Amino acid sequence: MIKANPSDAVGVDLRDVQKWYGSVLAVRGVSLAIAPGEMVCLLGPSGCGKTTTLRMIAGLEKPDAGDIRIGDTLVNAVSPWKRNIGMVFQNYALFPHMTVHENVAFGLTMRNRPAGEIRAAVEDAMAQVRLAGYGDRRPSQLSGGQRQRVALARAIVTKPNVLLLDEPLAALDKKLREQMQVEIRQLQRAVGITTVFVTHDQEEALTLADRIVVMEEGQIVQIGSPADVYERPKSRFVSDFIGFTNAVGGKVVSVTGTTARIETASGHSLDIPGAEGVAAGDEVDLVVRPEKVAIDPPEGSGCVVVEGDLVHTVYSGAVTYFHVDIGRGAILIAMAPNAHGAASALPTSGARLRLGLTPDTVLVFPRRG
Amino acid sequence: MSQPNAAAPPAARLPTSERVLNAYVIAVLVFLALPVFIVVPLAFSDDVSLSFPPRGFSLRWFANILERPEFGRAFALSAAIAIFATIVALTAGTLAALGLVRHRFPGRDATVTFFMTPLIFPAIVLGAALALMLSPLGLLRSFWGLALAHVVLTFPYVLRTALATLSEIDRALAEAAYTLGANRWKTFRHVTLPLMRPGLLAGATFALIVSFDEFTISMFLVGPGMMTLPLEMYNYAEFSLDPTIAAISTILLIITSVAIIVIEKLVGLGKQFS
Ligand SMILES: Nc1ncnc2c1ncn2[C@@H]1O[C@H](COP(=O)(O)OP(=O)(O)OP(=O)(O)O)[C@@H](O)[C@H]1O
Ligand SMILES: [Mg+2]
Repeated sequence: MIKANPSDAVGVDLRDVQKWYGSVLAVRGVSLAIAPGEMVCLLGPSGCGKTTTLRMIAGLEKPDAGDIRIGDTLVNAVSPWKRNIGMVFQNYALFPHMTVHENVAFGLTMRNRPAGEIRAAVEDAMAQVRLAGYGDRRPSQLSGGQRQRVALARAIVTKPNVLLLDEPLAALDKKLREQMQVEIRQLQRAVGITTVFVTHDQEEALTLADRIVVMEEGQIVQIGSPADVYERPKSRFVSDFIGFTNAVGGKVVSVTGTTARIETASGHSLDIPGAEGVAAGDEVDLVVRPEKVAIDPPEGSGCVVVEGDLVHTVYSGAVTYFHVDIGRGAILIAMAPNAHGAASALPTSGARLRLGLTPDTVLVFPRRG
Repeated sequence: MSQPNAAAPPAARLPTSERVLNAYVIAVLVFLALPVFIVVPLAFSDDVSLSFPPRGFSLRWFANILERPEFGRAFALSAAIAIFATIVALTAGTLAALGLVRHRFPGRDATVTFFMTPLIFPAIVLGAALALMLSPLGLLRSFWGLALAHVVLTFPYVLRTALATLSEIDRALAEAAYTLGANRWKTFRHVTLPLMRPGLLAGATFALIVSFDEFTISMFLVGPGMMTLPLEMYNYAEFSLDPTIAAISTILLIITSVAIIVIEKLVGLGKQFS
């Protein structure tokens, strides 16, 4: 079993790190402290600088400003081969001219370890990723999921200080991806290695991370636990990205303490608690997850009831989405599980629906733009 | 056959256009190979004149080669020049390709084009230019002058195949090696070079053949007592047009074929893991 001694685990510290590509500022002042043994996910849309940040930690790109520390060592000018890191690339980057065994052994061979030790460590790592017996194959003779495991074994066999993974599951199908997420998480826990994982899949980030770092256009816009980010996105951008697909416009009528009374574009009035950074008269967006919108709530359940006409139904297997016009063209999407699997029993377009909004599931953000 | 009982496919009737194309391809191949079919039988002719079809059978033209030491000397010189030029061009071409593929810099494309010029430059101009350049250096009609000229000549062939191979190699492979603790040299040695090997072998084959075959440029640079094989053959043919030339050509043909087959085997093996 490959296992880092917990006291060996080191943190990673980024301070005001910047990276230019020509005239493009790909990373604009990222500061992030990763604790020893922690698993952090960099989450964000395409082009927001996740890979660039990861590559700077790896030493494959040099930051143009700022400091990067691995443990106590300032590594800005340290070559990647001296950083003792492990990295899994998006396309795995397995050496095609070597066998699986030689691939996994590569890091130890480069460290001039004795042959016996290398063989034992490689077999150990292969067993850990459940690929024992595949050593003689070429990477080209493996499936996508197996290649991914080889890449993982190759990255951890050297007992690196930091494990870096750049969308390692993006090429896998959904089922395998979910299975690998669990395996990576278990492996990371077992080995106790400080890990930075890049993804643009919010579910993946939520499943894997101790902490999620949400990035937008080269900057960090929120850092928090999965629950934090999931329940309390700090901005419209993050809320959008993390599944608050409902947005209804409105105007703040008054603010009492942290509770804001808001008049929505659909003509409803809601008291939203915990609304920060808004003042009376502000144009705002109310956002809420479709799954938090109750359909036909029982009387006296404490939620605000809005009524509207069903304009559109999206059946998506386990759940159905109902697009409801709640007045003056404002659309609220409600989601309901298909408990009885009776798609034919679903309300049809034009039906009148009662929806329930629980104020503390609704977030208020100043209108963008 | 896995299905011996399967009904035979209907007799293949190619569309006319395809049959015309096939005939054309065969005609081109025959035309290209025709010199070989003429030269090889001539080498075994008993006739003193180079005339086709050959008459009789004799090995005396091969014996004649052995009796004339200038052919042996010329062969040795050509081989030495070709091997030297190939080794230097291979080293320089690999390094140049690494620089050109791995780094973006202003004037990069122009540099590539510049390196390729010997391919498109008229050989006679290049030969004259090299003679003019080597003369003040005191290298005209010397082994090293000739060898240098052949490096210039073979370099683009090696560079071209090295560039093609290298640009096919995923950059992430070298980066993966870096993250695994391999410095630049070890990465080159264990990852990049093995992956380039098939391309480099192909480039080296080209270089060897081009150098060995070179006539025009060498003509400007050789001197008495220092003749390459093609020039020696030409000199001989000027005075006696007997099948000796055909015999030498046959030997060269065999050597080249063997070399190409061997290297194709190696390159073919190399292709297996891509
Ligand atoms: N080698 C490069 N040269 C020039 N620009 C680059 C280079 N690499 C990245 N960029 C730019 O830097 C920005 C950040 O890129 P990066 O690859 O870090 O994004 P990412 O968050 O990993 O995106 P994705 O999810 O698509 O992988 C993008 O605008 C990209 O176009
Ligand atoms: Mg990326």
